[in-house]
Amino acid sequence: MTIKRLLIAAAALAYLGFLAVLGASYFIGLKQASVWPPAGPRQDIPDKDLPKVERTVQQLEKRMTGLLPKGLYIVIDTAENRLYLKNGDKVVRTAVVSCGSGVVLEEPGGKKRSWVFDTPRGEFSVKSKITNPYWVKPDWAFIEEGEAIPRGMEERIEAGTLGDYALGFGQGYFIHGTLYTRLLGRNVTHGCVRVGDEDLKAVFKAISIGSKIYIY
Amino acid sequence: MKRTASVMIAVLLAAGYQGLAASAEMDKAALAKKQEGLNAEYGLAKESQFYFVFDVLGRKLELRVRGMILRSWPLESMRFWGQPDFAGTVELVKKTSLKAPERIVIKPGESEEPAPAAKSASTASATPAEFDLEALELKDMPKRFSLDFDNGLHVTIKAKGGAASSFGAKMRDAWTWYVDLPLRNLFGSREGQAISELELVFDEEKDAQSIYWHFFDGIKGLIL
Repeated sequence: MTIKRLLIAAAALAYLGFLAVLGASYFIGLKQASVWPPAGPRQDIPDKDLPKVERTVQQLEKRMTGLLPKGLYIVIDTAENRLYLKNGDKVVRTAVVSCGSGVVLEEPGGKKRSWVFDTPRGEFSVKSKITNPYWVKPDWAFIEEGEAIPRGMEERIEAGTLGDYALGFGQGYFIHGTLYTRLLGRNVTHGCVRVGDEDLKAVFKAISIGSKIYIY
Repeated sequence: MKRTASVMIAVLLAAGYQGLAASAEMDKAALAKKQEGLNAEYGLAKESQFYFVFDVLGRKLELRVRGMILRSWPLESMRFWGQPDFAGTVELVKKTSLKAPERIVIKPGESEEPAPAAKSASTASATPAEFDLEALELKDMPKRFSLDFDNGLHVTIKAKGGAASSFGAKMRDAWTWYVDLPLRNLFGSREGQAISELELVFDEEKDAQSIYWHFFDGIKGLIL
């Protein structure tokens, strides 16, 4: 009987102790939270420095504006498969596109090369504008199909696959047309950005060499 | 009568002066905060890399490049435990999820794409969303994950609808937030290993998934 009482008392004490520690941790947490989120700056501005700070802020805002791309530029969202033709903050045209599938292709045999079919992300610029482009099929296109890699260039050239126009933005990547229009809006490509005919024509005509492309 | 009126005018003038002084202080504080924020953002924006801005008071997370907002995710709610001093420039060190999306490795000889629209009659009526492709897409991204930053901040991202559904998972969440974290905060603070734990909840599952998609390891950002 006594042992039972002792055990109950010990359990009650342990429970109370736990509650006390938990209470203390809540007290500490609330004390910390009282200064969060920090609404003010870390340092006060003396009155005499106020005009200087105002000038600095204006200069910084001007510098930030100066970083924005000039003229028309392209923004591509690889997650949503959307292309935006923009001028400043204004969206001039929105197009549904297809971006990279993220699939990995591994070459069988001795060479063991591999390719990751991602659309590259970052800041690029239009390097070439091509009308009626031909696709020069790279090695992976043959490996993927289980075909032998040809030695001659003629066997690599394929017409019609890239649509009517192509905008090159470096390292073999293009914004181009597609035969697979029902797959627009999905991530299916080998890294290039596929655009529907109408949108591609509009983007191709609006954009000039050197225009910026932001892919995220 | 005259005396009462003059006292009242004096009180009103004093109150007005107090108000103006407080307002000027607030303006100064806002200006100083703006300068701090712009200075830090300019450092990030002058590079060509993408960066994020997490505006705690504005309750939004934004992906930016060159000062231009690419995506904005408004917060549904947020909560916090630990040391609140995590504002400033940060770098994403690690992205963790229970089930990270895996890339599909294709075997040579197999095509990962269906035939062109004109040639495929059997699937012609299906909408693009119905195709099950061999691809890594937004829908494959986790709806709940965590981000670790170089300043020790640990952020859990989840969607309102994507919260723990089972009773067990709810209990585990509650235990973590209401017991484990407070205790870790208490004992960690004493040992000099304070925690900074932030939980951000977004309205849509897609928001959480797109944050996972766009936040790559090493991305820099600014917490305001």
